Amino acid sequence: MPHQCTSCGRTFPDGSKEMLSGCPDCGGNKFQFKPAGATEDTTAGATDQADPPSGDAGPSGSAAEGRSRTPPTPDDRSASTPEESGTDRRPTEPADATPSDASASADASAESDGTEQIADRSDEDTAQASARSEVVSPDELDRASRDIEPAETPPAEEEPEPGIDALRDELNDQFESIRIVSPGQYELNLMELYDRQEYIISLQEDGRYVIEMPDAWGIQDE
Amino acid sequence: MGLLTNLRDSISRVTDGLFAADEPKRIGIYGPPNAGKTTLANRIARDWTGDAVGPESHIPHETRRARRKENVEIERNGRKVTIDIVDTPGVTTKVDYKEFLDHDMEKDDAVRRSREATEGVAEAMHWLREDVDGVIYVLDSTTDPFTQVNTMLIGIIESQDLPALILANKTDLEGSDVQQIANAFPQHETIPLSALEGDNMDEVYTKIAEYFG
Repeated sequence: MPHQCTSCGRTFPDGSKEMLSGCPDCGGNKFQFKPAGATEDTTAGATDQADPPSGDAGPSGSAAEGRSRTPPTPDDRSASTPEESGTDRRPTEPADATPSDASASADASAESDGTEQIADRSDEDTAQASARSEVVSPDELDRASRDIEPAETPPAEEEPEPGIDALRDELNDQFESIRIVSPGQYELNLMELYDRQEYIISLQEDGRYVIEMPDAWGIQDE
Repeated sequence: MGLLTNLRDSISRVTDGLFAADEPKRIGIYGPPNAGKTTLANRIARDWTGDAVGPESHIPHETRRARRKENVEIERNGRKVTIDIVDTPGVTTKVDYKEFLDHDMEKDDAVRRSREATEGVAEAMHWLREDVDGVIYVLDSTTDPFTQVNTMLIGIIESQDLPALILANKTDLEGSDVQQIANAFPQHETIPLSALEGDNMDEVYTKIAEYFG
């Protein structure tokens, strides 16, 4: 499960297209990449092609990535991936370099009609490669969470899912004072409403709300 | 310089003191939805000012949801007590527009009403923190008082050291159980009443004068 949604925790296998348009569960668009070394789950795509040849499992993360895109040779892979891991040049590599010792079926697909498939994949790979090479910095994560807090309630997770409930409760406890279950349905955290300095004046359907900042009190409070 | 500062300080202390003594206490009428808060607010206002607690708001921040009646003078035993009454929206942890659909309401209206009610709770909670000097806590004596909302609000009121009067309303209804409310909050005095019928209002006014005068 190399990719994990940072808002609901759902994981996606490497090469998953599901996440390209946002997390299907919570709509989140920030994911963290977990190197293959951290979790041993391999993906459908990876296992299909990479199981037969052995022996190259060594260079953990990059090798696992390499498998999913370079069908044929173990040798080429172990030679090429370590320096190039994370770049998008890799997908093109096998086309030039490989067909030498490839195992039967993989060979056919890689060579004959292979160019198109590889071209297809390389689009996807570019996005993934950049996703992999650019690690979300702690700053960015921090900023993202700060945006959510004062400006709007977190996206109203509309479809309840057992796994999310605990997380949701935790979030509620942390900062949420009003949760929009759906338009017209609200859950209120009274302690939070009581504790917070600013005063929520009006709610909007899109989950945003208007607050009055403490500084404005003196002015309007005659 | 120091002399002047001292002088200014002491003058402002005196004037502050004067104003503070004059200023009526602001008493929030709190409680869960449908406990009879507005009925009570209207009765108090009508009894002592002739008006009801109207829909017009004198409240800052343009809140049209909590309603305030200012300068309500209550006379007890030859003594006058002046208070501002703030009738607040019922406090609850869940608001669902579907509740309103039962009352012959279109969905859009129900959703809007639900949103306003939620804003109202937020407002009521904020007032409790910032703007009230005492609380009249109204409960429907036909319902179970052991709820999360009641426990939490009474807890907050106690932690603020606000004077609080607990009223067991709706004694005119069958099934009213004042004792159950007294048992739920033994640390407070519980006064039975029917705001609708005006039963036992004398005692309520006596207690208001006693608690908030």
